[in-house]
Amino acid sequence: MSAHVLGEFEREGALLEAARALRARGHAAVDLHSPYPLHGADEALGLSRSTVPLVALGAGVTGAATGYFIQWYMVAYAWPLNVGNRPPHSAPAFIPVTFELGVLFAALAIFFGLLLAYFKFPRVHHPVFEVEAFRSASIDALWLSAEVDAAQAEAVAAELRRLGARQVSIVAEGAR
Amino acid sequence: MSTATKISEEALALEGAPVLVGRPDDRALTESLLAPVLGPTRRGWLLLLVALGGGVTFWLISLVTTVFVGIGVWGNNIPVAWAFDITNFVWWIGIGHAGTLISAILLLFQQRWRTSINRFAEAMTLFAVAMAGIYPIIHLGRPWLFWWLMPYPSTTQLWPNFKSALPWDVFAISTYATVSLLFWYLGLLPDLATLRDAAKDRTRRIVYGIMSFGWRGSARHWQHYRIGYLLLAGLSTPLVVSVHTIVSFDFAISQLPGWHTTIFPPYFVAGAIFSGFAMVVTLMIPARRLLGYQHVVTERHLDNMAKVMLATGLMVTYGYVMEHFIAWYSGNGYEAFAFLNRWEGHYRAIWFVQLVCNVLAPQLFWFPWARRNEVVLFVVAILINVGMWAERFTIIAVTLTRDFIPSSWANYAPTWVDWGLLFGSIATFGTLFLLFLRFLPAIPVFEVKELRRELDHAGHAGPGAAHAPGAGEASP
Repeated sequence: MSAHVLGEFEREGALLEAARALRARGHAAVDLHSPYPLHGADEALGLSRSTVPLVALGAGVTGAATGYFIQWYMVAYAWPLNVGNRPPHSAPAFIPVTFELGVLFAALAIFFGLLLAYFKFPRVHHPVFEVEAFRSASIDALWLSAEVDAAQAEAVAAELRRLGARQVSIVAEGAR
Repeated sequence: MSTATKISEEALALEGAPVLVGRPDDRALTESLLAPVLGPTRRGWLLLLVALGGGVTFWLISLVTTVFVGIGVWGNNIPVAWAFDITNFVWWIGIGHAGTLISAILLLFQQRWRTSINRFAEAMTLFAVAMAGIYPIIHLGRPWLFWWLMPYPSTTQLWPNFKSALPWDVFAISTYATVSLLFWYLGLLPDLATLRDAAKDRTRRIVYGIMSFGWRGSARHWQHYRIGYLLLAGLSTPLVVSVHTIVSFDFAISQLPGWHTTIFPPYFVAGAIFSGFAMVVTLMIPARRLLGYQHVVTERHLDNMAKVMLATGLMVTYGYVMEHFIAWYSGNGYEAFAFLNRWEGHYRAIWFVQLVCNVLAPQLFWFPWARRNEVVLFVVAILINVGMWAERFTIIAVTLTRDFIPSSWANYAPTWVDWGLLFGSIATFGTLFLLFLRFLPAIPVFEVKELRRELDHAGHAGPGAAHAPGAGEASP
């Protein structure tokens, strides 16, 4: 049985400090929620570098290679067409489509990679949404959430209050 | 005009003139920026929608006529096989480019003033590309067979000829439309969550809740989100240049005098940005007043956009001069004739409209008062829109009327269907834009909050600064 402990903070500094303190006490599943990206959040949560650029690079190279290959296959191999005696395999003419497909594959990989793989979306029923006050997380407030063992929830809530949270809530698993 | 005067005084007083007037706190900012979406329907909005509905109807009638009767209902002929349709296509695609320029290129250059206008401009891009994409498809004559353009294994074992510019165009436009949509939606995601949370009624909460896929502002998501968004901007930047380059290849790699020149790619890209910024200004000046966005879209924004129009206008002018120079310097009689035909031919009136609108009108922007005067800006922006349409008409249709052999010369006159497709598409574009202003946040709320915070950190802290920089932030 796990539970989500949510705390609302007023200041960015106190929020990041609380995240560090909880992590130092061995709670790994700490997350921050804010209406805009917070500077220093990656470091406070101990997040490693994002791998999104590698995904984009891989997809972009795949797209460009696909683009060049299909053009070579269609125009130079499967159905060579003599137009003005130009060579069937004319690389300069293949560049535009190669570039476009590289961009297209990379963009699709970034968008769907973020949504489906990195964010695990769609997920409209996350436990944090059980707290009505959490609506402010996308408007003007800073929230910390920690997924902890249900037995520890009260202790973590007290810790959050001590660290300066304005309000604290506990969402137990199965509360829905 | 007292507030405007105050703002311009502020703009003159500070080197970093305001990109955001005042320092409203986050809740006030959210409320003011989402008011057009969450508030009641306004009468003015409804009246505009109904008025544009007439244009949309005209557009639909023209489209249906074209599809059911065939493109014989257009004024096109041989030699003028490309006329209003391709002119409109290039014009709309060009307008779209400013959106990508504002959202992607200015993001990479860390131009803070782009923040409040980027969503607006991206929406403009999407709708402009949607309008543009229709013309090449209906121009096919049998538009229901448009999928023949795509490479697919058919029973005839035929493939598209990738050594022609037209298949490049198919890939460029479809990639551009897709990437613009993804970039726009990714930028919208946090704001859709804000709408879900700020909405009071159940319907909006559910609809925006589904559209935001469950975004919860998690720091673990923001980390990937920021880098992903930046990468999409990085990809869009060369993409936007490539798209209009490829559009210009449709002409430049052909043999026709007036088309066959190497200056076309950069000249088309500059023209695209020129017309696109003009369209952003045309839409933004009324919208910021109607929606009460003067505090986030300030005179600083209008001033900067006017400067971009001046700069790109000069590039376009350089293009005109250089085309004439090469026509003379190459010693090619056909080339020289094509340009003489612009000054003295059947369509010279359109050429003079183009010169006045694209070359002379933007020169007003050398004067700071003209860049900050909404009326001047609006009028000049409209003139540029007209001028750039005239430019595309001159390049495409006028060039085609006079090719190599006088026996094949013919003039072109549009029919009511041609006019319907032009004016109707403008009305449809306006309708889509009105719907966007009503149902989605036109100003990126989360980016404005981030901007406010950056300005606070930079030491411009005003009276409303609620969140002072935390002590813990400075430590590494």
